[in-house]
Amino acid sequence: MSIFRLGDQRPPEPRRINDDVVMRFDHVYEVDPAKMQVFPQQDLPAWDTERIVAARWDHLAWMHDHFADEVLSTGLESETMPEEDG
Amino acid sequence: MIAAIDDAVLDELRAIIGDDDRVLDNVSSRAMRTRVPAPFPVHRWAQHMPDVAVLPVSAEEVSEVVKLANRLKVPIVPRAGGTGLADGAVPLRGGILVDVKLMNRIHEIDLVDRTVTVGPGINMLKLNERLRPHGVFYPDDPASYPCSLVGGRIGTGGWSLLGARYGHTRDLVISMEVVLPTGEIVQIGEGGGTKLRKSSTGLTLKHLFTGHQGTLGICTRATLELVPRPETEFAAFFAFRDYMEAWRTTGALTTSGLATLAGVVLFDEWKLRYLRRDDEAYIPQPQDVRAVIAVAMYGRRAEVEPASRIVMELGRADGGRYLGDEISQGDWASRHDRYATPLHGRTLDGQAVPMSWHCEDAALNYSVLPQVREEWHAIVDRYIREYGIFDDWGMFAYTNGAYKPWGDYLVEIDVGIWEQRLDDANWEAWVRCKREIAEVSLKYGGSITACHGATREGDAELVPTEMGASWAVVKRIKRALDPNNVMNPGKQMLDEAYE
Repeated sequence: MSIFRLGDQRPPEPRRINDDVVMRFDHVYEVDPAKMQVFPQQDLPAWDTERIVAARWDHLAWMHDHFADEVLSTGLESETMPEEDG
Repeated sequence: MIAAIDDAVLDELRAIIGDDDRVLDNVSSRAMRTRVPAPFPVHRWAQHMPDVAVLPVSAEEVSEVVKLANRLKVPIVPRAGGTGLADGAVPLRGGILVDVKLMNRIHEIDLVDRTVTVGPGINMLKLNERLRPHGVFYPDDPASYPCSLVGGRIGTGGWSLLGARYGHTRDLVISMEVVLPTGEIVQIGEGGGTKLRKSSTGLTLKHLFTGHQGTLGICTRATLELVPRPETEFAAFFAFRDYMEAWRTTGALTTSGLATLAGVVLFDEWKLRYLRRDDEAYIPQPQDVRAVIAVAMYGRRAEVEPASRIVMELGRADGGRYLGDEISQGDWASRHDRYATPLHGRTLDGQAVPMSWHCEDAALNYSVLPQVREEWHAIVDRYIREYGIFDDWGMFAYTNGAYKPWGDYLVEIDVGIWEQRLDDANWEAWVRCKREIAEVSLKYGGSITACHGATREGDAELVPTEMGASWAVVKRIKRALDPNNVMNPGKQMLDEAYE
């Protein structure tokens, strides 16, 4: 049996991306908490952040399918930066 | 003279509707049918509430409600999804609000003559789910695609992301049933046909009844165009170091002659600065990405695939760099649903605060985009520094012509507004800012609104100026159709018709 504990779901410590943005999960950008003093950031458990991100991808995939039978790809990488920054 | 909504009027409405649950005079039902997503004077919310909301289910019910309003000279305001980015559906003088959401049936799908006939309360996404098994599609695609309704699209004269390929709302409505401000039910289309795309009989009234912002009647049924469901979608985004490179490339793409081109969008430097703050696709982009072009195509694979190669060539011919499949496809998919985005902006000291979204929607020619962009941003920057409740979210230019992607653009400057800080002084500042932006559009031979409607302070007072000598014709039409000025009064300066 598993028991949910918010404390077990604390996200990792943020690392700075630029002056405005931090990252705690790969590819999930967050406003720098120092820039959220007027409206503090919600305390989200890790699973909820992951759920929201996954739902976003589901949503975009659904939209593609809704508008056309297929999406044509070029097979080309980004010419401004690598797709993966990892 | 405006009559009050008293118990006797409510009793008459209940007798017409025949169902007390569809005649709503409680505060919550009225309050939730007051504002739209555009920045709203929240400190004066009560001044914009209707006195009662009714939810008819037939043209006959709408007709009787309108006849009652006309007899009593009570304002009547049509409202569909309430997702507009101006105030077409916002009551300015109370009265009866006609909410058409329950008129959401599909009356007929005609696969032979390629039409679908619907009530005004249906949403395009839900409609297309029902159309999909038949291999057809209704291609009206606003940024509010999952939540706006057909009736509102007709009332406001909507613009579609896919308009360069398939046309905009007014091009996609073949005919409609309309309840006039005096209560008559009329059929509006091409000549006398309900499923004809072109006629030269009589006068062409269809465009008069699309984009009137609810001031000439209430659409109760619409016959819409069906197109073959697209087999293939292609989206490509290109980054530029310089706005003018991107502007030139936009011109090249839109005059390429590719028939499957559904839309081209040009994002400026300010938009990139905004996206680099808060959008996952742009945060990691290098600083030399200062403008972006988005291109989208729809059609058969046999058309789209070779055309995509031309797009890739044109997009990179003048300094453009491809942003990659993941960003291109993901960003394009998100454009069908901008209302799902929680909006926040920045204060002068960089703090993130919730803001609502003003989306200027001028129609402007290609030639003037670079100069208008400079002047618009200068105006907004001045108000940001003076008031501290605004934020510049940058500028888009979308292809605006139906079936013709060249020549003119729906041009947005997106401005964040911290609504919680609104009071009379700050709201008046916003109205002045809005007016200055609109005046620039007129100075450059543009129109102040391509799709949202000039229905709010800051826009509305410029309508007579923009219309020029034809304003007299507009006023005569309004007065002839709505002799008592009951249909959505106070919008677009049409009160002048009664002076």
